[in-house]
Amino acid sequence: MNKLPRCGTAFRLLSTLPLIAALPVLIAADTPTGGAPGVRSFVLTNIFFSGPKEAGTCTQLADGGVESFYNSLPPAERAAFADPAKRRDLERLMIKRLGFKATKMPPGAENDTDAIKRAASAAGFPAGKGRAAFANKRISYDSCTDPLDFMQLAEGYRLYDGKIAEGANLDGKQKKGDFHSASGQPGIDNQVWKALGCTKAFRDVGERENAREVLMSAAAPTLIEVRGIDDPRNDPDVTVNVMAASDALARDGRGGPLQWSSFATDPDPALRTTTKGRIVDGVLTTDPVDMRLNYKEQIIDAPRDLRSARIRLTFNSDGSVDGRIDGYYTLASLYDSIEQMSQAGASASGISCPGVYKAIHALADGYPDRKTGRKTAISSALGFVGVPAFAVPPERIAAAGKGAGL
Amino acid sequence: MKLGVILLAGASALAAASMAFAVTGEGSAADAAVGAPDGSVRRLTESQYRRAIADVFGPDVRVVGRFEPDNRVDGLIAVGSSMVSVTASGFDQYEQIARGIAEQVVDKDHRAELVGCEPGAGDTDGRGCVSRFFARFGPRLYRRAMAPAEIARFTTATLEAGRTLGDFHAGIAAGLAAMLSSPEFLFRFERPGADGKLDGYSRASRISFLLWNAPPDARLMEAAAVGTLDTPAGLATQVDRLMASPRFEDGMRAFFNDFLLLDDLDSLSKDSVLFPQFNANVAGLLKEQTLRTVVDLLVTNKGDYRDLFTTRRIAMHRALGPIYTVPVAARDWTMHEFPEGDPRTGLLTHAGLLALHSHPGRTSPTLRGKAIQEALLCVKIPAPPANVSFAVVQDVNNATLKTTRARLKAHLDDEECATCHRISDPIGLALEQFDGVGQHRVTERGEPIDASGTFAGADFTDAVALGKLFHDNADVSSCAVRTAWRYATGRDPQPGDEPGIARLQSDFPKLGYRMTDLMRAIALSVTLNLAPSAPASKQEQVAVTRTGVPVS
Repeated sequence: MNKLPRCGTAFRLLSTLPLIAALPVLIAADTPTGGAPGVRSFVLTNIFFSGPKEAGTCTQLADGGVESFYNSLPPAERAAFADPAKRRDLERLMIKRLGFKATKMPPGAENDTDAIKRAASAAGFPAGKGRAAFANKRISYDSCTDPLDFMQLAEGYRLYDGKIAEGANLDGKQKKGDFHSASGQPGIDNQVWKALGCTKAFRDVGERENAREVLMSAAAPTLIEVRGIDDPRNDPDVTVNVMAASDALARDGRGGPLQWSSFATDPDPALRTTTKGRIVDGVLTTDPVDMRLNYKEQIIDAPRDLRSARIRLTFNSDGSVDGRIDGYYTLASLYDSIEQMSQAGASASGISCPGVYKAIHALADGYPDRKTGRKTAISSALGFVGVPAFAVPPERIAAAGKGAGL
Repeated sequence: MKLGVILLAGASALAAASMAFAVTGEGSAADAAVGAPDGSVRRLTESQYRRAIADVFGPDVRVVGRFEPDNRVDGLIAVGSSMVSVTASGFDQYEQIARGIAEQVVDKDHRAELVGCEPGAGDTDGRGCVSRFFARFGPRLYRRAMAPAEIARFTTATLEAGRTLGDFHAGIAAGLAAMLSSPEFLFRFERPGADGKLDGYSRASRISFLLWNAPPDARLMEAAAVGTLDTPAGLATQVDRLMASPRFEDGMRAFFNDFLLLDDLDSLSKDSVLFPQFNANVAGLLKEQTLRTVVDLLVTNKGDYRDLFTTRRIAMHRALGPIYTVPVAARDWTMHEFPEGDPRTGLLTHAGLLALHSHPGRTSPTLRGKAIQEALLCVKIPAPPANVSFAVVQDVNNATLKTTRARLKAHLDDEECATCHRISDPIGLALEQFDGVGQHRVTERGEPIDASGTFAGADFTDAVALGKLFHDNADVSSCAVRTAWRYATGRDPQPGDEPGIARLQSDFPKLGYRMTDLMRAIALSVTLNLAPSAPASKQEQVAVTRTGVPVS
């Protein structure tokens, strides 16, 4: 056979880093293979309430609304609905007995409060009640739209009783009620996990390995773009953009998220946040910043408003990323995502809307209202997983659509 | 009207019609074709069939059915099309497709436009109507003139079929289906003219299928009829007209589709666990990517063929971004330019070709090298011996031989294997920095990939350097000329053809290696100067029975 010349280390280095030499001429060309130098972007395939299943915690999980209603029934009725197969009948009884109401949203009334009230009144709703629900397809009055009217369903709701949680020391203090991290760091502020960590639906998706298997908010995922990377392992100064994507996540042949897809970024400036960060030993941390993360999943369209949020992101060797966004989750946007679940979603998921409402308001620990002094946000740790992607600004999309293409 | 049912019921009438058409008088064009001993016969490819129907009846007449697979011989379907017959089941398929087309032509949505008449005052049995129908469409479908007597025979048989079926339009459908099932439509017959070279209609078909991958249009048919194509100037005028048309792109796409074996991407599959980014949609887009890139460089920009191997410009689709690991702003196709120094440069690094000549779960320097040697350098690599052991090469988990290069080197300890691998592998190994679906990589199982080698006596370091060597290699451009000639004529060259091919090859540099100019030169030379092509062998030539039904 031919004796092929073997190249030494110098060649391999050039082969491995073929783009370094190209840097001066990049202006005239498009992005090179692998993406623009110094830029790494990721699409987050799942954002979830991050919490460990600490041994011995939540020995009894929080009751959902249906369970709470069941427990409120007299023994004879409870016996009649004890069979799990009777659950649908039990839900119907709850709806009937508690006076939940639902009617179709009249065409064009989605953003017309008066029209909604008129339709609700015509459908026999209690005076002044009735809110848009189920992706604006219905008008509802139930324990999710109006949790304060059904606080009896908060009976049996349980808070997380562990001592360890993920998160950061957001306020720089060590207070009563703070968690420890798994590594022993005190002062961890993650009251939202205390509020939700014993509810099965949140507890199950709070595990990172489970989160990897599920695509959430796939219709409008979040992008994290890190720019100005000189050294992917250690760089004291990088810029981090957190953006909403206008394009949906696609699945690959294994059913997982398709890597290296291009995503148009949402032009809404409220859905774009820029902050500074640094990379130490392959872990990116950022300065705190307020941010809004899109959250669209099935019937839910409830952007997450986070205050003083900071990112901790680990670059994995397979190109994926793991991390957390620690910050104060505003109560309004947090409960909006619960309310939009609707009564049907809450019942199916075993969630008590009044229980969640009561817990997050009781445990809120950040951003007091200037007038009332009531806390408007709750400390949180949102875990995320992501895969490499490309963020494409809307102006480039527009330019491509105006004839840059073939 | 349930035409399908009627057509089925009238199958005997259709057969009778076919028989009637075949039992012709002396001197008919049909008989001339069947008995043309010196003419070559080429079966329409599926794409040519579809184009013919769209051109004649309009794009909304759908062609539904499964075609017999095209046959690739010595790398070209164009050559294989001269060596195919139609099997019995294949003819059934053609007949079914023909019936479906005919049914649409006479249905209520198309009847007024495509038939445009019916029996009435002054034409009580519809003879005039049917005659006009066949006079209008027959020559377009047969790609030659039809004598009045031939049209009259179709007309008589069609009216008879209509009477048998009890429906005038069903009769037209039966007659049309017979015409579409006829070898005169399914095959391109090249006939000698008065000077012993191609006659006018054969010339028209040759340049039309070469330049448009479609049958001649009305103007070309008219030029054939009046003898314009018999003169160099007249032929050149028509060639230039065809090349100035946007449809020239179709012709070039068809050529490169055949040349680069891109149709094989339609059925390419990969291990989805190993290559989850790859699927059938991506495969189709990779084929389209190469064709668009070729058209952009060689047709739109009238570029140098050799630049195909060094261009950093490539058609890119949003869905191919994950394969190329580049962002794509456009939601469909755009032109992307890799920066200088990028590992992607030129045709050799197109993911479609890289994926096509790989195994489902891994690369194959041998398959890649063999394909490139055969397609781009016109070097035939023999098939491996039946008893060869690939155990070492296929052991992708080999603890010590981690890279494909290392495993191939071990395989070459067998001198019998080494003979061919020495030819194919250096080129294939240059492409090892692209995995089994063409994604860039720099390591294999943790080992850096060495993509260096030697080609035509020159050392190269990687695929980009190899592309530059291809750009400057005379064999590469000469092979393109030879392949284009074979594509145009539908056959392998005979000794007598070699001087003409050599002249084209020596002229190619003078033409600036412009593919458009090469195609023009070939269109003129193989149409004007050559006699009808002889089929490869009589046994492989299509046999046509007296009923007009080709048999295997």
